[in-house]
Amino acid sequence: MNVLIGLITGMISGATPILLAALGGTFTFYAGIFNIAMEGMMLMAAFFAVLGSFFFHSWLIGLALAILGSLTLALIFILFSVRLETDEFVTGIALNLFALGITTYFLRQIFKVKGVFTSKSIVPVPQLNIPLIEKIPFVGPILSGRNLIVYIAVIATFFCYYLIFKTRFGLRVRGAGYNADSLDSSGVRTSRIRMQALLLCALFCGLGGAFLSLGYVTLFAENMTAGRGWISLAAIILVDGHPYGIAAISLLFGFFDGLGLFLQNYGVASQFTAMIPYIATLFALYVYARRVREKKGKRT
Amino acid sequence: MKRRLWSGLIGVVVALAVGALIMLAQGYRPFSTYAALFQFSLGGIGPFTTTLKNSVPLVLTGLSAAVAFASGPVNLGQPGQFVFGALAATIGGLYINLPAVLEIPLLLLLAIAGGALWSSIAAFLRRAFEMSEFIVTLMLNMIADFFTAWVIAFPLMDRKAYSPMTPQIVMNGWMPDFGLLSSSTLVMLGAVVLVWFVFHRWRAGYEWRMTGQNSVFARLGGCDIQRNFLAVMLVTGALAGLAGGLVVMAGPHRFIKGLGANYAWDGIMIAIMANNSIVGTLVYGVFIAAIQTGALGMELITNVPSEIAQVLQAVLVLIIVATREYTNVLLDRLSARRQAKERAA
Amino acid sequence: MNDLIALHNIVKVYPPNVLAVDNVSVSFSKGEIHSIVGENGAGKSTLMKLLYGLVPFDSGRIEFGGVNVRFHKPGDAIAMGIGMVHQEIVLIPQYSVWENVVLGAEPIRSMGRIDSRAAIDAVRSKIEEFQFNLDPLAIVDDISVAARQKVEILKLLFRNVSVLILDEPTAVLTPQEIPQLFAELKRLRDRGHTILFISHRLDEVLELSDRITIMRKGRKVATVEASKTNKESLATMMVGRQVIFTSKRTPHRRGELVFEARHIEMERSDGLKLLDDVSFSVHAGEIVGIAGVEGNGQFELVNSIMGLEQPNRGSFLVKGRDITSLSILERRKLISFVPQDRGKMGASLSASILDNAIMTHHRLEKQFSRWHGLVLDYRKARDFVDMLKERFSIQMASRQSEFRSLSGGNQQKVILARELLLATPFFLMDQPTRGLDVGSIEYVHGEILAMREADRAVLLISADLEELFLVADRILVMHRGCIVADLMTEKTTIEEVGAYMLGGRASA
Repeated sequence: MNVLIGLITGMISGATPILLAALGGTFTFYAGIFNIAMEGMMLMAAFFAVLGSFFFHSWLIGLALAILGSLTLALIFILFSVRLETDEFVTGIALNLFALGITTYFLRQIFKVKGVFTSKSIVPVPQLNIPLIEKIPFVGPILSGRNLIVYIAVIATFFCYYLIFKTRFGLRVRGAGYNADSLDSSGVRTSRIRMQALLLCALFCGLGGAFLSLGYVTLFAENMTAGRGWISLAAIILVDGHPYGIAAISLLFGFFDGLGLFLQNYGVASQFTAMIPYIATLFALYVYARRVREKKGKRT
Repeated sequence: MKRRLWSGLIGVVVALAVGALIMLAQGYRPFSTYAALFQFSLGGIGPFTTTLKNSVPLVLTGLSAAVAFASGPVNLGQPGQFVFGALAATIGGLYINLPAVLEIPLLLLLAIAGGALWSSIAAFLRRAFEMSEFIVTLMLNMIADFFTAWVIAFPLMDRKAYSPMTPQIVMNGWMPDFGLLSSSTLVMLGAVVLVWFVFHRWRAGYEWRMTGQNSVFARLGGCDIQRNFLAVMLVTGALAGLAGGLVVMAGPHRFIKGLGANYAWDGIMIAIMANNSIVGTLVYGVFIAAIQTGALGMELITNVPSEIAQVLQAVLVLIIVATREYTNVLLDRLSARRQAKERAA
Repeated sequence: MNDLIALHNIVKVYPPNVLAVDNVSVSFSKGEIHSIVGENGAGKSTLMKLLYGLVPFDSGRIEFGGVNVRFHKPGDAIAMGIGMVHQEIVLIPQYSVWENVVLGAEPIRSMGRIDSRAAIDAVRSKIEEFQFNLDPLAIVDDISVAARQKVEILKLLFRNVSVLILDEPTAVLTPQEIPQLFAELKRLRDRGHTILFISHRLDEVLELSDRITIMRKGRKVATVEASKTNKESLATMMVGRQVIFTSKRTPHRRGELVFEARHIEMERSDGLKLLDDVSFSVHAGEIVGIAGVEGNGQFELVNSIMGLEQPNRGSFLVKGRDITSLSILERRKLISFVPQDRGKMGASLSASILDNAIMTHHRLEKQFSRWHGLVLDYRKARDFVDMLKERFSIQMASRQSEFRSLSGGNQQKVILARELLLATPFFLMDQPTRGLDVGSIEYVHGEILAMREADRAVLLISADLEELFLVADRILVMHRGCIVADLMTEKTTIEEVGAYMLGGRASA
C-alpha cells in the first residue's frame, strides 16, 4: 500500500515540472510561435531559485527570482524573435545553450563548485498539509502534503483552460496562431499578443524550474532540467495544446519517471530506468503519428 | 558574400563586448583576459595546431547539422550519433588488433557506421510511422547517453580505473601525429572537402539542396524525397559518428564519461552561425575551437572560469544570426528610403 | 461633391528598390463607388494598403474629412471609419462567423470573459440590417467563398465604417454571384457609404462605379466618370497602348489521343468526394481548359495527375500508357507541368536561376551528368541557361542570382521555358497567368498557342473565363469534383459556363 502511494506521489512530482512547462508552452503554441526555449527557461529558473533561496533564506524570494530568471530569457527571445525577426528555431536553441552556459558559469563563479551545489541553507518550497483532507484514508496522504507548487500547478491547469477558451485574450491568442494576418486586420497587433504569450510561458516555466530545484530536490545541478523541456514540447504537440490533455500526458510521463526510480529498487540499472521517460515519449509519438495518419485517410 | 562577412564580424565584436561586460561585472580585466585567450589558441604553431585538433569534433558535427538542415531533415541527434560512433570505434579498438595501416581505417569505418546506425533509427521511424525526426533524434540523444553510460560502467568498464571508463584501445588505433599536426585534423579537412563536393557538385547534393529549400518543388521535379531523406540522415549520422570516433582515437584513446558532452550541441550552433554553409562551418568551427582552447589557458593566467566560453558561444550565435537577418532587412529598407526620396523630389 | 478622402503626392518604395506608388494624388467623395483599375503590378492594391495603414508610405500626405491623418496600423483606420476587405480572405477558418466578426472588438464581461450571448445577438442584428443572409454560428471553414467575403464586409460594418475598400472581390465569385454583391454595394452607397473598388475587370468596373481612377506602373493616369468612358479607352490607359480583345486562335485539327482520365475518384477521410467519376481526354494539337470556382477539385485533379496524391479509383493514361502508379519522375518523362503557385510549387525562390532551370532536366537528360550520373555537369548547365535566356528573352542579372530577384513575368518565363524544353507530349498548366502583367500574359498565351501548333496536348486549368475563351478549344467545367460540362468554345458563352460553374446541371 505504501508502495502504491509512493508510486503515485512520485508520479505527481515527476509530472509537475513537465505540466508547468507545457502549460507555459501552450500559450506560445496557440499563438503560433515555434518556442523551444522552455528547457532554457526552466534551467534559468532552477538556478535562480536556489540563488534566491540560499542568499535570502526565503523560498518566496527564490520563487520570485526564478520567475525573473526565466522572464529574462523570454525578454531576449522577444527581442530577437519578435522585434528583430530572427528565426525562432535558432533563437530557441541559442537561448537553451545560453542558459546552460550561464548557469554553469555562475555555478562556478558564485558557488565555487562544479557539477552540483547543495547546502542546508537552501530553503525549499514547503509542503502543504491540508487539515481535513489528510485524514481521509488512502487518498489523504496523496492529496495532502504535496509541495505547494503542485497545488499551484493544478489550479494553473484550470486557469489556463479558462484563459485560452473563455476570454478575449484567449480568442486573440488562438487567432494569432490560426491566422496572424486576420488578427492584424482586426486591429489587434499580433506581435503584442505573441509577446504576452512568451511572458506567460516564462511565468509557468519559472514555476516549473523552481519546483525542480526547491521542491523535487533541494539543490542545483548542471543541466538539471535533463531534457524535460523537450518532453513538455512533445506533450504539447501530442495533444494539440489543450490544457487538460497536457495534464493527462504530464501525469503519464511523471508515472514513467517515478517508475524508473521504483525499478531501481529491483536491481534494474539506473541508466536503463533513466531512459524510460524518453522511450515513453517515443512511444507516445508513435501513437500520435498513427492517429494523424488515420485522420488523413491513408490516401497516399 | 560580403554581407555575410560583415554580419559575422559585427556578431563577433558584439559578442566579445558582451563577454567583456560580464567579466567587468565580476571584477576581471577583459582586455588581458581576451589577450590570454587568443594567445593560448592562436599565438604560434603549437597553439594553432592544438586549436585545429580541438576543432575536429566541432567542425564534423557542424557539418552533420549543416547538411541536414540545408537538406530538410531536422537531425538534432548529433549528440547521440557522436557517442555511438565513439562507442563503435572503442569496441573495435578493444577487440580487434591489426597493423595500424588497417586498424585506423577500420576503426574510422566503425565510427561512421555507429553514427549512421543511430541516425538510421530516426530515419526508419520517420519512414515507417511518420514520427517527426525532430523529437525522435532528441529522445535518442538521451537514450544514447544513458546507454553508453551503462556500457562503460558495466560490460566494458576498466576495473582499474577510478571512474567509469573503458580500457584504452590498442595502440595501433591511435591517430598518429605528424609533428605538431594531428592526423585527425587531416581527416577532418578531407571530410570537409568531400562533403563540399558532394553537396555542391554531385547530383545527390543538388537534389538535397533543392529538397531542403522547397520539398514540393523537388518532388514535382522528380526527386525521390524518401530516398534522399534516408541518404541525408545516414550521411549526417556518419559525420557525427566519425567525430566521435576521432575524439576517442586522437584523444584519451578510450571512452570516458562525458566524452562527447557538448561537442555536438556546439556543432549544431556552429552550423546555425554559418547558415548551413560548409565553408562557413569550417571557419566558425575553428573560431569556436579557438575560444574553447584559449579559455582553458586563460583560466590559468587570469582566474576567469573557462565556462565563460559557453556563454560567449551562445551570445555569438544569437548576435550573428540576428545581425545577419536584420542587416539584410535594414539595408533593404535604407535602399528603399533612398529611392523614395528621389521620387518625391 | 465633397471630398471625404484626399491623397496628396504619395510615394512608396518597397525595399530594396521597387517603386510601387509614384507620386499619386487622388480624392474620393462621400457616397460614391470609386473604382481603381490597373493591371497586375500597377500599384492599386499598394495604394489602398497605404491608405489603410497596413504598409507605411515614404512621403506625401493623406487627408480624411479635411484633417491630415496617418494610420500606422489597420486599427487606426478602422477607428476613423475606413475598412478594407482583402483579395485573399483573411478570416480564421476554425472560428465561427460571429467570432470572426467580433475579433478585436469583443464584448466582455468581468475578468476578460467574452460575452458570447451579447456578441451573437449583435452580429445577428447587423446581418439583418444589411440583409446579408448569414448564420452567425456557422464555422467559416464550412461556408462558401462568397459567404466568407460577406463575413469580411460584415466585420467592417460591425465597426461602423463609412468607407469600404474592396480588393479584387469578384476574383473569387462566379458570374452569378457577382450581381448580388453589386446590389449590396449599391445599397451601401445609397446609405452614404463610400466604396473603393480595386479591380482589373473592366466590364464590372464600368457597370458598378460612379468614377474610375486608372493606374499604370505606380502612377495615376487619370480619373474619369464611368458614364463618360468605355472599355477600350480604359484598357488603353491601363496598358499604354492599344489592346486587342479578340482571340488569336486559328482553327487547328486535333490529332491522336494523348491524355486520358478514366473514372477518377478521390475521397476525403470523412467520405466527401473530392473527385467524382472524372473522365475526359485531351488530344494532340488541342487545348482543353478546365473552368470552375477554386476548390471544386481542380487542385486535387492536378495533384493526382502529377503524382503528389493518389486517387482511390480510376486511372490516367498518357499515350496509352497507364501512369497511375508510376513515380513522379517516370511521369515527368511524359508530362510537363506549370503549377499554380510559382513560389510554392514551381521553383525554389532562394536557389539560383540556374538551379531552378535544370530541375528535372538534371535527371532526364544524360548531357547533364558525368560519372554515371553521380556528378552534375555544371558547364552544360550554364550553357543551357544561356540558351534559355536568349531564346525566351528572359531578363536576369546573372545565372547565379536568386530566383526571387526576377520579376513575376520573368520567373514564369523560366518555369515555362524549363517545362517546354522537356519535349513531352502532354502539358499541364494550372493558372499560368496568375499575377502577371498584360505583356507577360500575352506572351504566355502566345506560347500556349504555339504548343498547339506543335501538336502537343495541353490541359489548362484557369479561373479566368476570358482567358479560357481566348485560348482553349474545349472547356470543361468542374463543380464539386465532377465534370459537369464539356463544351466547344465556339458554341458556348461565358454566361453558360458560369451557370455550370455555380450550380452544375441544375441551372443554365
